[in-house]
Amino acid sequence: MNSDTDSGATAAARLSWPAMPGMWAAEPDDFLPPEREARAFWWLRCRIAATLMRQTFRNARFRFALVLALSAMLWGALFWMALDGFQFVRQGIGHAATHDLTIRAVFGTFFGALMVMLVFSSGIILYGSLFQSREAAYLLAQPVRTQRVFLHKFQEAVLLSSWGFLLLVSPMLLAYGIVAEAPWYYYLLLLPFMVAFIYIPAALGALVCLAIVYWIPGARLKVLSLGVVLLLAAAIWTAWSVIAGPESDMLTPDWFREMLGRLSFTEGRLLPSWWLSSGLLEATQGDWSQSVLFLALMISNALMGRQLAIAAAGALYRPAYSALCGQHRQRWRWPGRRGGPWFDRLLLALLAPMPAPMRLLALKDLRIFRRDPVQWSQFLIFFGLLLLYFVNIRRLSYDVYYVGWVNMVSFLNLAVVGLLMSTFTTRFIYPMISLEGRRFWVLGLMPISRDTVLWSKFFFAVGGATLPCCGLVLLSDVMLRVAPMVILSHQLTCVILCVGLAGTAVGLGARLPNLREESPSRIAAGFGGTLNLVLSALYIVAVVLLTAVPMHFYQATRSTSTMDALRGSIPLDTWLFWWLGAGTLASIVLGILATAIPLAIGIRAFRRLEF
Amino acid sequence: MIQFADVSRSYDGKVAVDGLTLEVQGGELFALLGPNGAGKTTSLKLLVGLLRPDCGELHVCGHDVVGQPRDAARHIGYVPDQPFLYDKLTGREFLEFSAEMRGLDRAMTRRQIDRESARFRLAPFLDDLTETYSHGMKQRVVFASALLHDPDVLVLDEPTVGLDPRSVRLVKDLLREFARGGRTVFMSTHTLSVAEEISDRIGIFHRGRLHFLGTVDELRGIRCSHNASLEALFLELTEEEEADGSASGCPGAVSGTAGEPRTDVTELGLPPFAPLPVEEEDGPR
Repeated sequence: MNSDTDSGATAAARLSWPAMPGMWAAEPDDFLPPEREARAFWWLRCRIAATLMRQTFRNARFRFALVLALSAMLWGALFWMALDGFQFVRQGIGHAATHDLTIRAVFGTFFGALMVMLVFSSGIILYGSLFQSREAAYLLAQPVRTQRVFLHKFQEAVLLSSWGFLLLVSPMLLAYGIVAEAPWYYYLLLLPFMVAFIYIPAALGALVCLAIVYWIPGARLKVLSLGVVLLLAAAIWTAWSVIAGPESDMLTPDWFREMLGRLSFTEGRLLPSWWLSSGLLEATQGDWSQSVLFLALMISNALMGRQLAIAAAGALYRPAYSALCGQHRQRWRWPGRRGGPWFDRLLLALLAPMPAPMRLLALKDLRIFRRDPVQWSQFLIFFGLLLLYFVNIRRLSYDVYYVGWVNMVSFLNLAVVGLLMSTFTTRFIYPMISLEGRRFWVLGLMPISRDTVLWSKFFFAVGGATLPCCGLVLLSDVMLRVAPMVILSHQLTCVILCVGLAGTAVGLGARLPNLREESPSRIAAGFGGTLNLVLSALYIVAVVLLTAVPMHFYQATRSTSTMDALRGSIPLDTWLFWWLGAGTLASIVLGILATAIPLAIGIRAFRRLEF
Repeated sequence: MIQFADVSRSYDGKVAVDGLTLEVQGGELFALLGPNGAGKTTSLKLLVGLLRPDCGELHVCGHDVVGQPRDAARHIGYVPDQPFLYDKLTGREFLEFSAEMRGLDRAMTRRQIDRESARFRLAPFLDDLTETYSHGMKQRVVFASALLHDPDVLVLDEPTVGLDPRSVRLVKDLLREFARGGRTVFMSTHTLSVAEEISDRIGIFHRGRLHFLGTVDELRGIRCSHNASLEALFLELTEEEEADGSASGCPGAVSGTAGEPRTDVTELGLPPFAPLPVEEEDGPR
C-alpha cells in the first residue's frame, strides 16, 4: 500500500462535501419504519425520565425542593428587576419613538448575546453526546438510521442548553408585557417565540460541531479555543465601546444617543434575535398580524435549520465519528525541567514546612486538577468576568454618583467572590474524598495515615481558594479607592472565608462520601454537595454581614457630614469601633468553628470509613 | 460471511490495522489474538461499522459495512469489551428497546427475552435498574441483547472478561453451539485457553498485521512444537517478532514488520529482582 497516496486521497475526499441522503430515503421494506423508530426513542426517553423523577422524589426530595426554591427565587428576582427596569425606562423616556428604540436595543443586545451562547452551548453538548459518549457507540452499532441517532441527541441538546435561556428570558418578557400593557395574545405567543428562537442557534451549533469534527478532527480543540477567545474579545470590545468615553458624559442624553448608535449592530435584519424582538414588540403594540408573521418566519427558519442539521448528520456523522476515533489525545507538556513545570515546583516550595507525604498528595491533587480543563475552565471564565468587572469598576463611577455606597459595593464584591468560591469548593473540593475512595487502594497501601490525606486536601483547598480570592478582592478595593482599613478588613475576611469554606467542603466530603459515583459533578449534585453549598452560602452571608455592617457605618461616620450632628450627641466613634472589633472577632470565631467542626467530624468518619 | 479485503486503518498517522485480508465462513468460530495495542479492537470496530477503513473493503453477509451500515448491522450481534447499558432502565426495558430497534414484534420480543433470560440466568435481576448490576451481570445482559434477533454473525470483544466460571462455561458452549448452527463467531481475546478450546481458526495479530492464520494444530506444526500450549506458541511467535522483526519465514506466517530490540531491565538502571530473605518463622502469621 502506498500510504502517502492513500492518505492524500483520503484527505482530498474529506475536503469535498459528501453526498447528503434524505432523512427518510427509500429503503427496503424490512427496515424498521421511521415512525416506529421515532416511537422507540421517545419510549426510551420517557422511561429514563420517569425513572429519574421517581428516584428524585424518593431519594432526593430535599435537593429537588432546594433547586426548585432557588430557581423560583432567581426567577422572582429577575422578574422584579426587569419590572423595575422597564418601568424606569418607561418613566424616564417619555418620547415614544426613543422608548421603542431603547427597548429594541435592549432586546437586540440581550437576545443576540444569548443566541451566541446557545450556539456554543448546544454545539459543545452535542459534541459530548455524539462523539464522546458510550451511548453513541452503542447506537451506531445498531441498525438504526444515523439521522435518528443524531436527532435523538440533538433534541436532548436543545433541552439541556435551553432551560437556562427560558429561566432568564421568561421573567423579562413577562415583565415587559405587564409594563407595556400588552394584549392577551402577547402572552400566548411568548412560548412559541422562545421555542422557535432556541431551535435556530441549536441547529447552527449542531452544523458547526459536525463540520468541525468532520473536516478538522485534529484541530477541533484549537478551533473551539479560538472561537471562545474571539467571542470573549468581541464581548469585551462591545462592552468597552459601550461604556468608554468621558466619565462626565455618563447618563446624559448625548451619551444615551451615542450608546444606542453603538448598539445598532444588534438590529441586523437577518438576525433571529431581531426577528424575536420585533415580533414581540409588534405584539405589545397590538399588531398581531405582524407579530404572527415574525413568528412564522422564525418557525420556518427553525425547521429549515433542523432539517439541514439532520441532512448534514446523515452525511457527516458516521465518517466524523470514525475520524475522531483516529485522533490521539496529545497532552500539552509544560516546558520545565525535571520535577515538573514551575507551578508544581512553586507549590512544593510553598508547602516546604509540611511533611513530605502531605506535599506530594497536594501536588498529585494539583496535577489531576489542572489536567482536566473541563473542571476549571468554567471557573476561569467566571473569575475572568469578575476580573474584567473589577478592572473596569471605575468606569461605573460609583465614587462619583454613589459616594456613600462605595464601601457597600466593595463588600458586595467580596460576597460575590466568596459565593463563587463556595461553588468552587462544592464542585471540586467536596468530591475529592469520594473520588479518592475508588482508588483508595493506592493511598491505603502506602505508609501514611488517613489524617494526612485529609489534611493535605484541606491545605490544597485553602491555598487554591485564598490566592485568587484575596487577589480579586484587593483589585476591587484598589479600583474603588476604599480606605486602607477597609482593604485590611476585606483581606482578613477573605482568608476567614476561604479557610472556612475549605474546612467545610473537606469535612463534609469525608463525612458524606459517595464512593459509587465516578463523576465529580454528580457527586457535587448529591445531598452532601447540596448541603455543603447551602452551609457555605449561609457562612459567607454571616461572615460578610458581621464585618460589613459595622465597617459600613464606621466609614460613614468618617466621610459624611450628616453624621456630624449625631457624633456630637453620642460617642458614636467609640461605639462603632467596638462594634467593628466585636464583629471581626465574631467572624474569626465563626471561621474557626466552620473549619474545625466539619474537619473533626470528617476526620473521625474518614478513619472509620471502609472502602 | 465476513470479508476483510486489504483493510487498513491508522490513528493519527500510526497504523493500527495494516492491509488486513481475511475471510471467515459461516459455521466458523474465529479468534483474533494479539498483545495489547495489536489492532484487535480496531478490527472489530471496523467490522461493526463504528470505524471506517482508510482503504480496503469490508463485507458482512454480502453487505458493504461502509456503504450499507444498517444492512450489515442487521446481521450482526455485537458484544463490546465495555458493556453499555442505560443506567435508568431495567435489564428487561433495555432488551425491549434493543428488540424494538431490530424490528421484532411484541410477541416475538417477549419470547426472545424469555429465552435469553433463561439461557443467561437473568431472571433474578432482570427487572432491577441496570445501575445496580455488577460487571458480570451487565455483560450477560449485553450478550442477551446481542442474541435477541438471532444474528448471522456474532462479534465479541473479550467476551469472557468479568464473567464468573459458570458464565464462562456457558458462553463457551453457546459460541460453539452458535457456530455449529452455521453462523459465524468473530471474537478477540487475551484468554488463550478459551481460544484454544473453542476456536476453529485463530489469527495472531501484532502491530496491525496478521502474522499467523490457521488452526492451533497448524501453528504447532509450523513451530515444530507438537505438545506446546497455545500460550507458549503465542509468546514464542510474538517475542520472536519483537526480537528480529520477522516471522522467521514460517509457512503460516502472513508477513513481518520491523521490531524493536528487547530491552534488558538492567539497562534501565533498575535493580534486578532478588528473592526476599527468608526469615525464621516462629509461629503462624
